[in-house]
Amino acid sequence: MAERRLNILHLYPENMNLYGDRGNVLALAQRARWREIPARIVTREVGQPVDWDAVDLVFMGGGEDTHQARIADDFLALGRELASRLQDGLPMLAICGAYQLLGRYYETADRTQLPGLNYLDVWTEAGDTRAIGDVVSYTDLPIEPRSLVGFENHGGRTFLGSRARPLGEVTLGQGNNGEDRSEGAVQDRVIATYLHGSLLPKNPHLADLLLMWALMNRGIDDRLEPLAADEEFGAHETILSRSRNS
Amino acid sequence: MNIRLLAAVLAARLVGWVSRMSGRGGSSLPGLIARRVYPSVLRDLAAKLEWGAILLTGTNGKTTTAAMVRHIIETEGRPLLSNRAGANLILGLTATLVQAERWRIRPRADIALLETDEATMPRAGEEIQPRLIIVTNFFRDQLDRYGELTTTVRYVARGIESLGPGGVLVLNADDPQAAQLGYGRPDVLYFGLEGEAAKTAEAQGYDAMDARFCPRCGTELNYARRYYAHLGHYLCPDCGWRRPDPHIAVVRWSRKDHEMWVRIHGQVESFQWRLPGIYNLYNEAAAIAAGAAMGSRPTAIRESLATFRPAFGRMETLMAGDTRLWLALVKNPVGFNQVLSAVFEEAHEGGFSVMIVINDRYADGRDVSWLWDVDFEHWTEKLSPRRWYVSGLRARDMAVRLKYAGVPSDQVTVDENVNRILGKAMDQTGGETLYILPTYTAMLEVRQELTQLGLVRHFREG
Ligand SMILES: [Zn+2]
Repeated sequence: MAERRLNILHLYPENMNLYGDRGNVLALAQRARWREIPARIVTREVGQPVDWDAVDLVFMGGGEDTHQARIADDFLALGRELASRLQDGLPMLAICGAYQLLGRYYETADRTQLPGLNYLDVWTEAGDTRAIGDVVSYTDLPIEPRSLVGFENHGGRTFLGSRARPLGEVTLGQGNNGEDRSEGAVQDRVIATYLHGSLLPKNPHLADLLLMWALMNRGIDDRLEPLAADEEFGAHETILSRSRNS
Repeated sequence: MNIRLLAAVLAARLVGWVSRMSGRGGSSLPGLIARRVYPSVLRDLAAKLEWGAILLTGTNGKTTTAAMVRHIIETEGRPLLSNRAGANLILGLTATLVQAERWRIRPRADIALLETDEATMPRAGEEIQPRLIIVTNFFRDQLDRYGELTTTVRYVARGIESLGPGGVLVLNADDPQAAQLGYGRPDVLYFGLEGEAAKTAEAQGYDAMDARFCPRCGTELNYARRYYAHLGHYLCPDCGWRRPDPHIAVVRWSRKDHEMWVRIHGQVESFQWRLPGIYNLYNEAAAIAAGAAMGSRPTAIRESLATFRPAFGRMETLMAGDTRLWLALVKNPVGFNQVLSAVFEEAHEGGFSVMIVINDRYADGRDVSWLWDVDFEHWTEKLSPRRWYVSGLRARDMAVRLKYAGVPSDQVTVDENVNRILGKAMDQTGGETLYILPTYTAMLEVRQELTQLGLVRHFREG
């Protein structure tokens, strides 16, 4: 049986960490360590090599336009290998800019189509206004509770094709496009979303699902022992209560 | 006298008077009314200032730097008007000028010192036609308001276009984005640090991610020295762009003696350095540079700063019985790291507790993601308070942040109610120091409660 440890690959932490997205990586690593699963965070910037066989879980966040432009070519070059690994079941959490880059294309306000990795069956169009605010959504993923909470801040509107299903349905906030109430996308073991906040620290059940997927991918089919999560669900509840009061 | 100007000023003052009577202070309504009645009101009033206007902008340190500059100017006996910290958008600036006097229409002051929001700089510059612009630094801050850092820098650059001939631009040489604003200009006065950079006390972790790329060509910058975040002595390996040599350079400092030595156009003078933290060296250097830009002599600036006392809430302390309260605003990752660094500098002097109050109203930034960019992992290892107190609308998020940084839950008291936890924390900290670190609106709540308790008689906002 494979060794019970995890390597988390954080892609472009210097360029793609606009809204505290490293909180997600900290949450994954800590929740593994609290279960005595050694977790190592490996970062990769433009031009550096990746030892894909040693990667159990991938994280990538969003960045400023200028920073995103700086990594785009490198990411697309990396993309072929990444996409095939994702298809084989490598889990990934992609937030905001990374979500858009995993899709088919991003269409700017002047109708130029910037190509994405074409892995996720989604596409994004520039919106007239930014969607900014608290979000509550309900997911069909096998996790308890079904609620997810976070903060969205995006100008792009993302639409889902038939191969991607929404991560959740919003009861507070705009979600993917402000039209169909969908938020985020799930395909294989990839979770893509617009939620910051940071996301995983106040959605520990989603963090644990990603960790479980990572262990499964490593060939370890064991369950994660439960952890006390009073603080985390306290923060979760702060936003949930806002959706009840709105 | 322009009759519309007269009407605008009087209407605004009336509205201001009514809103104060009804207990709503800090309103932007007077500015709005004045501009409705006469859209050029700010332009007209600013044009009549005898010396001119100073715009002070940047992410961190605006309020402290402004307070020092104000003190320098006032010590010299020059009549000055200035805005409150919160009143830094165009309506607030307008309100400040129309309400500067009670009976006169035009301000008596020669100089207006205006702390200005970065996004307001283009408009403020265009209408006010400043004579001096000071830029402290650029960090990521409240992205739900501004968008991206590059956008913020662009706003300030547009504001600087309004600086007329004979004007001076005071820039932080150690901040690549700020320094770059002076590229190719002859009218710049740079300030910066030249002493040894501390290796231990500063966070060197994730806080360095804002602007480490060359603002001219986008290549990652090399640093010979780094003071904190991206402030330091940088050089672009690609295009060769480097930190400009500062005219005002802090060459040495001693925390123990509360003293800093500053080279001003080649001459070294010593200054009192009361406020802890490297970032306050920058604030003071910026103020000294502003004083120099206005023609004050170094010795006069030194004498003035020797009597400077910070506004309460900007790292000033207060005694509540035998408990020492120490307040410092936190509003973005770099600022928070610097405040924790200052707590670390001070805290070895005795037992202490730390209280963090996080709100997420508009003025605080509605997204609390930034708490995850504060290097708590680094600081919780070094700081060992007797107890952590966590409060505010987002107390629960802060509690999670501490948990993931390795602070055991039984060392943390969580209560969203600020007044309740403040009372409890003050009781339990008897005889020691309570460091209180609130976000902007949380700061207002803490002060209000301290006023209610009779500990603060009155305070100036900021
Ligand atoms: Zn360069």
